[in-house]
Amino acid sequence: MSTNDPVDLKQDRRQWLKTSATFLGAAVLPLSGAIAETSPAESQTVQSVHGASQAVAAEGTSSARFFTPAQHAMIEELSETIIPADSHSGGAKAAKVADFIEQRIRESVDDQQKALWREGLRLMESMSQHYNGKSLVDSSAEEKIAVLKVLSDNAQMTELPEVRFFHELKSLTVRGYYTSKIGIHDDLEYKGNRILMEFVGCDDPTPPTT
Amino acid sequence: MAEQEADLTKKYDALIIGSGAAGGMAAHVLTTHGLQVLLLEAGKKLDIEKELRSMQWPYDNAHRGALPPDSHSLSFNEYTIRRPPYGPGFEKSKNLYSYIGNSDYTKNIVVNERENPYTGTNYAWVRARCLGGKTNIWGRLALRLSDYDFKAKDRDGYGENWPISYSDIAPYYDKVDLYLGITGVKENLPYLPDSIFQRPTKLNCAEVTLQQGLKKMGRVLTQYRAGVTTDGLKHNKYRSRCYGRGACERKGGCDIHAAFDSPTGLIYPAMDTGNLTLRTNSTVREITVDPTTGKASGVHFTDSQTMKDYTVRGKVVIVAASTLESARLLLLSKSRLYPNGLANSSGHVGHNFCEHVMGPGVAGQAKDLVGKPSTLDDGRPGGFYLARFRNLAQQHPNFIRGYGFEGGSGSSMFPPGTDRPGFGASFKEEIRQNQGSYIGMGAFGEVLARYENYVDLDPVVKDKWGIPALRFHYKFGENEHNMVKDMKETAQEMVEAAGFKIIYVNDRVLTEGWSIHELGTARMGNDPKTSVLNQFQQSHDVKNLFVVDGSAFVNASCQNPTWTIMALCWRSCDYLADQLAKNEL
Repeated sequence: MSTNDPVDLKQDRRQWLKTSATFLGAAVLPLSGAIAETSPAESQTVQSVHGASQAVAAEGTSSARFFTPAQHAMIEELSETIIPADSHSGGAKAAKVADFIEQRIRESVDDQQKALWREGLRLMESMSQHYNGKSLVDSSAEEKIAVLKVLSDNAQMTELPEVRFFHELKSLTVRGYYTSKIGIHDDLEYKGNRILMEFVGCDDPTPPTT
Repeated sequence: MAEQEADLTKKYDALIIGSGAAGGMAAHVLTTHGLQVLLLEAGKKLDIEKELRSMQWPYDNAHRGALPPDSHSLSFNEYTIRRPPYGPGFEKSKNLYSYIGNSDYTKNIVVNERENPYTGTNYAWVRARCLGGKTNIWGRLALRLSDYDFKAKDRDGYGENWPISYSDIAPYYDKVDLYLGITGVKENLPYLPDSIFQRPTKLNCAEVTLQQGLKKMGRVLTQYRAGVTTDGLKHNKYRSRCYGRGACERKGGCDIHAAFDSPTGLIYPAMDTGNLTLRTNSTVREITVDPTTGKASGVHFTDSQTMKDYTVRGKVVIVAASTLESARLLLLSKSRLYPNGLANSSGHVGHNFCEHVMGPGVAGQAKDLVGKPSTLDDGRPGGFYLARFRNLAQQHPNFIRGYGFEGGSGSSMFPPGTDRPGFGASFKEEIRQNQGSYIGMGAFGEVLARYENYVDLDPVVKDKWGIPALRFHYKFGENEHNMVKDMKETAQEMVEAAGFKIIYVNDRVLTEGWSIHELGTARMGNDPKTSVLNQFQQSHDVKNLFVVDGSAFVNASCQNPTWTIMALCWRSCDYLADQLAKNEL
C-alpha cells in the first residue's frame, strides 16, 4: 500500500482482524476495546512468558521478563520506528528503549496496562500481516512505518485498543529515549547539569562541555 | 550540630510546632535571643541529600526519575473527578501521593495521602511532613509584598487592611534577605519592592526579547527572584552558593542547599547556639491550656512512629504547622474555656482562607531560534517573573487585585513538544530542532479572602493517628473567574506583541490548592471580633500563643508568600522575646 492513501481504520480493521483470526487459527477476536478473557494468542503469550521465565530462572536471574523474546524484538522494531536512528544520532533501539519498556510494564501494578501491551502487540502483528503480508519483525522500515501511520492518522480513535496501544508505545518510547544517554547527549546535545562558575545569558558564549 | 535528646520534664521558654519556613525562622530568632526552645516536627528527619540527588542523570536512576510503578501520584484529572479523601480507588498503589510526589526525588518528602485524609470540596493539598516541610522542595520565588497588598482595602474597598504597613515589615525583609540570600535585579517598583539582592541570574535571548516587548507596554519582566544564595553566606556553613547546576526545573530541592531550606538555613544554625532541642516524629494533637489562667500551658503530642502519647510544657506556644494544619490544631484544641477551639472567640479560625489561582498561560515560539544548536539555559534557579500590572493606576472593570506570571525559555534536559502528532524521522528531528525555541509562562492570581471559604473538622474521618481530618469548604469565586479570563487574554497578547508565534493558550484553571500557597485561616487584625491574631501574630484571646505561618495573612496578594511568612515571623518573634523578658506573656 502507499503510505499516502488515507485509511478508514474502522473499515480496514474488520478485514485484518478476520485475516489475523485465520492466521492465528481463532474463530473470533474482540472487535471492541474489550479484551477477551483468554484468546488463543493470549494463552500462547502466557505459555511464552512462562517459558521465558523458566529460561531466565535457569540463567540465575531473579526477575522474570514480562515480554517474550519475540515480543521484545517487536518492541525494539516499533520503538525504532517511532524514534529511528539518523545521521545525527542513534535511535530507540540503540538507546535500549525496549528494555526500559520491559521494566516499566513488568513492574506495573496496572493489569489493564499489561493487558493492553499484550493485546496491542498481537494487533500490530495482525496489521502487519494484513498490510504487508509478513511479520512485523521481517518488514522493511517503510512497511513498519505504513502500519504505524494507520494508527497515527487515526490517533483520535481511542476507543480502539490498537490506537490506545499506539499512544502508549509512543509515550513510553519518548520517555525512554529522552532519558537515555543517547537521547540526552547525542541527540539533544544537552549542555547543563554540571557545575558553572558563572550563569550563562543571551550574549554569553556557551561554556565548553566538560 | 549536636542534636540533644528532648527533655520532656522541663518547661521550655518556647514550644514551636512545625519546622518549615515559619517554624525554622521562629527557632532561629528565639534561640538567638537566648530562649530555650523545643521544636516539634510531625514527620521524620530525612537524609535529604540522598532524596534530592540534584545532579543525578535520569539514566542512572532505577526508574529514570519517575515514581516507582507501585506508587501513584494524583493527577489533575483525578483531583477534578474524584472527591477527597483520595484514598479509595487507588488500592493497587502501595503509596498515594499528592501531585508533587510524582518523582523519585520528592516521593518521600510529601505525605502518603492514605495516612492523611481530608474531606469536603476538591483541593490539591500538598503536605510535607518531614524536617523542613515544604521548604525542601519549594519553587523558591521570593517576593516582597507592598502597601498595594497590605492596604488593598484602601484601594478597592474589599476585605480588610493588614494591621501593618510596608514600613513595619521592610526592615525584616532586609534581615531575611541578608540571612538567607536572595538573587534578583532591582526594578524600583512600588508594587513589587526590591530585596537586597545577591548576584543575579541572566535572561536568555527569548526572555530578553519578551522583556523588551513588554517594556513598550509599560510592563516589567525581571530575573526570577529566587531565595537562593548566588554569592554564598559566610555565616552559614551548611549552605553552598549556587553553581548553576541545572536540575532546578526538576521538581525537588537543592542538595547543596544554595536554595533556601529551613533545616540548613535556620534550624541547624539554631541548634549550634545550644538553645534548640529538636524532636521529630512528634504529631501535636492539642495545645493544652491552664484552666486557671486561660493561658496555653504546653502541648499534647503522639510519637508518630511508636504511637505513644506525651505532654510537654512551655511558657509560650508557637504554632507554625502550615496554614491549614495550624487552623486544624487550633480547632482541635477545644476545652471548657475555649469550646470553639483555641484563639477562636471571633469564630474566624479556619475562615478567610485564600491562596493563588493558577492555570492560565501561554507558550510561544521564537522562529529564529529553530534549528539553532542547544544552549545552556537551565543552569539557574528560575527564568523570569512578570510583575503584576492590573489594578495599579486604573481599576479593571471586571475584577479587583492582581496577578503575575512565572516563566522561562530555552533548552532543558527533557525536551518540550514531545506531545506533537506523528512519529518517525521527522518527529525526532522536529523535537531536536525546536527544543530551545519555546517560551512559556503561567499566571498566579490573588484569590480573595472570603469568610465563606473555610475549613473545619470532619466529624467522622480521622487520620492515622486518630486525629479528626480537615474538611474543606472552598471554591474560587466570580472575581477569580473574571481574572482568569483576563490572564489568558493578556498572556497571549503580550507574547504575540513581542513577536513570538503562539503555540498554545491554556485557559484551564488548575484545581484549588495547586499553587501550594494556602493562606489566611487565622488572620491578623486590630479588631478581636473579626480577627484571630494581632499585628505580632499573637492571639487576641491567649497572649502566650502565637501563630507565625501563612495563616496570619489578611489577603493573599499575588506574590509568592514564603519571604513574607519569614519576615513577619522574625518581627513577631523579636516582639515575643521582648515581651517574655518583660514578663508580659
